[in-house]
Amino acid sequence: MLWLQVLVNGLAVGGLYACIAVGFSLVWGVLNIINILHGSLIVLGGYLAFFAHQYWGINPFLFAPLAGAVMFAGGVALQYCVINHVMARPFLITLLLTFGLNLFLDNSMLALFSADYRKVLLNPAPGVFDLGSIVVPADRIYATLVGLVLISALALLLRFTQFGRAIIAVRMDRDAAALLGVNVRWTYAVAFGLGVFMAGSAGALLSAIFPISPVASAGYLSKAFVICVIGGLGSIPGAVIGGFALGVIESFGALLLGPEHALTLAFVLLIALLAVRPSGLLGRQGFA
Amino acid sequence: MTGTLLKVEGLETGYGDIQVVWRADLEVRQGAITALIGSNGAGKTTLLRALSGLLPLRNGAIFVSGRDLAGASPQQFVEHGVAHVPEGRRLITGLSVHDNLMLGAYRRKDGKQAIRADLERMYALFPRLAERRRQDATTMSGGEQQMCAIARGLMAAPGLLLIDELSLGLAPAIVDQLVTTLERVRADGTSILLVEQDVGIALELADFVYVMDQGRTVRNGPADEIAADPSIIAAYMGT
Repeated sequence: MLWLQVLVNGLAVGGLYACIAVGFSLVWGVLNIINILHGSLIVLGGYLAFFAHQYWGINPFLFAPLAGAVMFAGGVALQYCVINHVMARPFLITLLLTFGLNLFLDNSMLALFSADYRKVLLNPAPGVFDLGSIVVPADRIYATLVGLVLISALALLLRFTQFGRAIIAVRMDRDAAALLGVNVRWTYAVAFGLGVFMAGSAGALLSAIFPISPVASAGYLSKAFVICVIGGLGSIPGAVIGGFALGVIESFGALLLGPEHALTLAFVLLIALLAVRPSGLLGRQGFA
Repeated sequence: MTGTLLKVEGLETGYGDIQVVWRADLEVRQGAITALIGSNGAGKTTLLRALSGLLPLRNGAIFVSGRDLAGASPQQFVEHGVAHVPEGRRLITGLSVHDNLMLGAYRRKDGKQAIRADLERMYALFPRLAERRRQDATTMSGGEQQMCAIARGLMAAPGLLLIDELSLGLAPAIVDQLVTTLERVRADGTSILLVEQDVGIALELADFVYVMDQGRTVRNGPADEIAADPSIIAAYMGT
């Protein structure tokens, strides 16, 4: 029963983890940018949810899409006005730019919100679902469900709309996409905005589960990175599989090696996977 | 067959510091199939890229239906009715035939109904595509991919279709089929500017021919006149 409980604990955060990673995966897959800023954006989404809860009493699980929407606009503007200027430059330049933006945002949040850990304290507390021999924490289930809904919406957008097709076209062949009348710069901007939307939503979802602080951003970034590599870059199903896989790996890692080593096991598996199957479990081209 | 659809005057373009096209002058008349022939490296593809906004002009002018489009973006060319079927087809990997065709209609603003009607028209024009509408477009044969690329270009509802290398790498039977289809496309009201290495096919399909050499348009004339010119035959058709 202990093993079953540990498995359920891992699965319960899977959708939230998928939500953390899917925006990172989208930006990496479509724009070929390793967005070092991603972890800070998750933390920013967490702060938005924290203050929305503190001042207006809005439930963070319901606030998540709104946090995403607010940050989407900022993401589009950031890509269009700043990152677009270095899109044609070597890979390391965009990496360096997002690294710099990450430092800037982390330190701005430190100055504004201090490094104190904060957490949304829901009243009444969500509690647990008691299933007899095992219990399931309700807050994680809510986060996972909302996360999966948002991911599904993103998948439908990419698969069935003209804009989704344009994103894939720009990813695969930017000149061919331009010849079809696709505005490449604008498409990049909105794709980046969608990645920021997912980061902001994920931050809001986790604000009631994990403590948030500017110093936590690197931790979320590394989670996103591990999930993308496990699941396979450039695919939404890959991010979902990777998210659930990381949840379960962390859960068993905490059981077997102690809670402080929950991520150690994940990183060991990451290194092993990179050696054996670098494209990830579901890695493929095209992002759809 | 009246009116000039595309007029190019003294066009110069290239890549970065390398100038490729030194002087191109040409005209595509409404309802005509015009071919641009020339040896490898003459600048045909580069000229076509400039005619759809992918390359900036160094000099010269481009008029589409009398409107000056020098310096316009690829989107503006599409919006003014110029669709470009690029060399090598350039279908989007990971997207189905249906999705590739829908992308052709990306700039259209005349509503879902009209786009759906055109989609059915394309499937009628190329029944092979209808059979494969759910298949990843880049897993089809070369001929089927060329059909898909042409249909994708036509989905923009263009007045002028630019086709770069219609026959490259395709079996003769497929090329014959495409030639017949393009004659239908022209009859339906879309003019065509064709870049073609196979001079025999160009002369068979086109009404009017331009010859390009070392970045310049050096000759032009009706297809039958060019076909009868012994120096053209010697230079481009062997024997």
